[in-house]
Amino acid sequence: MSDINNYVAPRSLDEAAEALRAGNVTLLAGGTDLMPQSRSGRTPLRPTLVNIRRIPELRGLSESGGTIRIGPLATITELRDSALVRERLQALWQACDSFASDQVRNAATIGGNICNASPAGDTLVPLLVLDAQVELASKPNGALAKRALPLADFVLGPGQTARASTELLSGIVVASSPEDFISSFFKFGTRPALDISMISIGFAARRAGKTLRDVRVAFGAVAPRPIRAPATEAALEGKALDDNVIGAAAKAADAEIHPISDVRASDWYRREMVRNMFTRMLTHVRDH
Amino acid sequence: MGVALDITRGETLIGKRVPKMDAPEKASGKTRYIHDINLPGQLHAKILHAGVVHARIVSIDTSAARALPGVHAVITAADVPWQRPIGVAKDHLPLKTDRVRSPRDEIAAVAADSAEIAEAALNLIKVVYDPLPIVSSAEDALQPGAPLLHGEELAWTSPDGRREVLHAPSLDNVAMTFNYAQGDVTYGEAESDAVVEDVFWLHYVTHCCMGVSGVIAEFEANENLRLYSNTQVPFLHKREFAELLGIDPGRVRIIQPPIGGGFGSKLDIYPFEPIAIFLAKITRRPIKLVFTREEEFMASPTRQPVLLRLRSGCKRDGTLTFRTIDTLHDNGAYTSWGATTPFVMMQTFSSLYRVPHCQYRTRAVYTNNPYAGSFRGYGNLQATFAVEAHMDKLADAIGMDPLAFRFKNAQEPGEVTPQGMLFKSCGFKDCLETAALRSDYSRKHAEYRAKWHDGNPVKRGVGMASMLHVAGGAKIYPSDGCGTILKIDDFAHVTLITGASEIGQGSETVLAQLVCEELALPLSAVTVVNNDTDITPWDVGVHASRTTFIAGNSAIGAARKAKAKILAAASAKFELPVDRLELRAGHIVEKDSGNRFIEIGKLIRSLHFSDKAELVMTTHYYEPPSQHQDREFKGDVSAAYAWATQVVEVEVDTMTGIVRLLRVTGAHDVGRVLNRLGIEGQIEGGIVMGQGYATTEDLIVENGVVRNPSFRDYKLVTAPEIPEIDISFIETMDGEGPQGAKGVGEAPAICVAAAVANAIYNATGVRLYALPFTPENVYRALKQQARPPVWRVAP
Amino acid sequence: MSATIDIRFRLNGVDTEVSVPATMSALEMLRDRLDLTGTKYACGEGECGACTISVDGVTVNSCLMFAADCDGRELMTIEGLAASSVGEALRASFTRNGAVQCGFCTPGIMMQAHSVLQKHGSCEPADLKRTIEGNLCRCTGYVKIIDSMAEACVAADEGA
Repeated sequence: MSDINNYVAPRSLDEAAEALRAGNVTLLAGGTDLMPQSRSGRTPLRPTLVNIRRIPELRGLSESGGTIRIGPLATITELRDSALVRERLQALWQACDSFASDQVRNAATIGGNICNASPAGDTLVPLLVLDAQVELASKPNGALAKRALPLADFVLGPGQTARASTELLSGIVVASSPEDFISSFFKFGTRPALDISMISIGFAARRAGKTLRDVRVAFGAVAPRPIRAPATEAALEGKALDDNVIGAAAKAADAEIHPISDVRASDWYRREMVRNMFTRMLTHVRDH
Repeated sequence: MGVALDITRGETLIGKRVPKMDAPEKASGKTRYIHDINLPGQLHAKILHAGVVHARIVSIDTSAARALPGVHAVITAADVPWQRPIGVAKDHLPLKTDRVRSPRDEIAAVAADSAEIAEAALNLIKVVYDPLPIVSSAEDALQPGAPLLHGEELAWTSPDGRREVLHAPSLDNVAMTFNYAQGDVTYGEAESDAVVEDVFWLHYVTHCCMGVSGVIAEFEANENLRLYSNTQVPFLHKREFAELLGIDPGRVRIIQPPIGGGFGSKLDIYPFEPIAIFLAKITRRPIKLVFTREEEFMASPTRQPVLLRLRSGCKRDGTLTFRTIDTLHDNGAYTSWGATTPFVMMQTFSSLYRVPHCQYRTRAVYTNNPYAGSFRGYGNLQATFAVEAHMDKLADAIGMDPLAFRFKNAQEPGEVTPQGMLFKSCGFKDCLETAALRSDYSRKHAEYRAKWHDGNPVKRGVGMASMLHVAGGAKIYPSDGCGTILKIDDFAHVTLITGASEIGQGSETVLAQLVCEELALPLSAVTVVNNDTDITPWDVGVHASRTTFIAGNSAIGAARKAKAKILAAASAKFELPVDRLELRAGHIVEKDSGNRFIEIGKLIRSLHFSDKAELVMTTHYYEPPSQHQDREFKGDVSAAYAWATQVVEVEVDTMTGIVRLLRVTGAHDVGRVLNRLGIEGQIEGGIVMGQGYATTEDLIVENGVVRNPSFRDYKLVTAPEIPEIDISFIETMDGEGPQGAKGVGEAPAICVAAAVANAIYNATGVRLYALPFTPENVYRALKQQARPPVWRVAP
Repeated sequence: MSATIDIRFRLNGVDTEVSVPATMSALEMLRDRLDLTGTKYACGEGECGACTISVDGVTVNSCLMFAADCDGRELMTIEGLAASSVGEALRASFTRNGAVQCGFCTPGIMMQAHSVLQKHGSCEPADLKRTIEGNLCRCTGYVKIIDSMAEACVAADEGA
């Protein structure tokens, strides 16, 4: 573990952005990824540790004007306990429910899960199908400035994001879903939680009768980052689900994923599971 | 519910749900494990592991580490020229001199003011290695021209210049062999109507004790060694540590703090213990050495991986005819107890079922992999896995019901097996019957089998397996006994001093119960002392499921002597013959009328303060009536044998390969239940450990390197995954057992994987020959994408 | 060496001040600085739950928490729980039902069980199993732990 020369715990977003200006900062939120990663040397700590956990502006979960805004410090438990998430963002709720363990859910934040940018990051896949936007704050010229970008453009690779070293994640925004919107998340594992995804699948669509519109599909742990699958979406867009459509979508998905072999699974098995579980998910959508 | 017994009414504790005596302290966080003990002036030690798999050590530069502030000592093999090889075959130097044979190999060690400083110092040690070719599997190790891992002699030179060869040079990579035969397998095969042959692969797993390994070594001013250790065999280690230091064993005192799990992992000496001792000797300070979890995964023993070829036959009427078994054990880089597991495996092959002809050949072979130690079940999980697969396959081959087939060949009381084991008590047939009945095995077995092709991707299956294991000690050392010292003080408080260690299994409570039963005292009147070799009498250690049986009989013996003393005194005092007196509910009473004469404590006080000035202190040593096996592995090695049948019901998702255990129905011949709460806990824990072995646990070793040294990727079973567990006790009241009981510690883990394999077959029609049944492995097998194990072993 | 931070917090009901290196974990602080050794190290990466403590009323793995982040918060460890009446009831249930074998995982599971009781959720075994999915136990097979929690859960409901 590397040394820390300076530790600060800012009380406002402004103070935090100020601390980041100086550079060479590691941000601390829940700590559940940072602690083991810094101890193992995977993420060496920079000389300044900024604990953002005491910033009220980064908390909370609210809905207004057609959007749902999630504070990056919202813990996975807070999201799992939220009726809003459970009813409106089912895929995200399912991801939170199968996230690590109670103790980790109580500490881990959604902002941390996003910024950790793991290919298997549990909340990234549902947020991708929810078309989430992330908001970044910084003080480039002495005044607080914010920019927003789609989550799909934010996560670049394993542990890599579009966040500049002077920026911090200040919000996650998701459009309030219409009545006919459905979303779901599947995480492959042998137990309800405490398992790193071998593969995960996010699905969302509007259902007009039997026809699917505005279809979104994302996969986790099958590429260097969680990915949207446009060709798979196209195979489903405007279609009513039947065995042929489901088969074509599964085939399209197979062409869009690039799984690797590691200690958790082989690439072959990951492909098989994407096909089988995506088929099972779509069949479930068709039948319910 | 726990016990709320009214001792004044003289109720028995035997068979009741007696809470563990140490539970309240543990549940309060007050118990001080080795990790929680800190001695004044202690230093913290860390070990530099090689990290390379197989190499010559060219040079080691410790100068920068020595110069780091806070560092008190940095040692390599050069600093302890007097170190001696350790382990079962004495083929292992704690600190490596010129060669690395495994990534965990200990190259150097640091003692410093804090663990952080010691860790920082490790990073400053520079070692230059010259890589050697890697022997990554037991098959490779037997190839002609394979690098020899122990081709050099290992000698030791005493401080006075005496040279002793402790490990002779090996001409090949074979570390140990076991060969056993009964009857004539050629004849047996000739009279068979059905013959099956398969190759099985049993994988690496490791103990995962929740408390990581640790030790504290301290030298007293007189150079006596005081070791705080979690060993399961303190008296054997006393001798080994003394040998290591060239001192009299009487000068080694081993103190055993409560242990965070054992499961057989602590039966051998491992390098970290001598290393802590070396550092303590050099720094003259107490040395505390505690592993990280990653170190625990890389540098503690494994269950022995085995490649196994089994050929079995039977007659059309269901009579077993023969078995031929060849096994190849990956010994790893050094020899620990894993190499000797064939000793237990052959019992299962030869004697679980009656089989007239049996031939068993095994080799344990050196490789650059982690070395195998002893682990709950000791080879029996592996042997049972193969035997029970063949019981199903043979039944199938002759069209016989698998339960009926087993029943026909099951052992019975009174049987003396060709290996010489005498089954004085044997509830095997009751186990089979009970487990089958309670699980509805026969109906389900037929029903699930009929649904192989019904189109439903989620299948169900039931599988059965049984086991035989030693349950009255195992005579592998000159003594298999245990001593007890029992002191009853002037207030009728009993101090039970036993050689047997508590490792979480609850032996302390059971021993106290057995003593209370003799002395008619409440459990609260007993203190058990079992953790200090300067105080406790000899015992051979916690292994072979022997503690309840051996230490129990020893405790009963001491208690009976004390009782006789008390009754004799009462007889003199009340002028009544001894046979008319009895101890009941804390009093001496008249046997027939129940009339109370005196409280036990009061009588003891009167003995003490009378002209006799006598204290009630007794000792007893119990040695079981078992035999050493001869050179052909024949002999009645245990005073009793345990039996069990388990039926496992599974659900197999054929689209994922996920196997869920729904229900485990176990029927265990335990002799007699002493503590119902404790024995249920042992069996439940063992079943779930067996579940892990079968379905989730997999220590992935590639080219000598452990690829998943963390709980993140080495998956223990978690609470939501456990099956419903139904346990029946078959009480055969063993004549030699304490109150009729037999040992049960290892038994419950043994059958699970074998039963799961049979259940998967019953669910899907696909048989798996290699463990573990992780989703991917099962899925591959279902899709015919698996590569079944093959026997490509050089003769 | 890392910067040292002075922090203050309530620990088992007592105001506590301590100086900690910025890289120190809450687990190390409790065990090595404050001699509260009831909280156990068993994996150091949040996979086993042996180091579970309560922070501001919710349970966390203390190995994953930076000690500095304890500043201003309210901590309870097994030592604090054991001294309370609810802790005593839980301990009695764990003891009576045989939930303890080697006992190394027990303090962490006691802390988690306490948190479950505080939430007054379901007492169904299937639900209780999920509440301890982050706690590994190698000895018991969890059966008796769930039994103990169910008994304590029902008793708490009846008492509430």
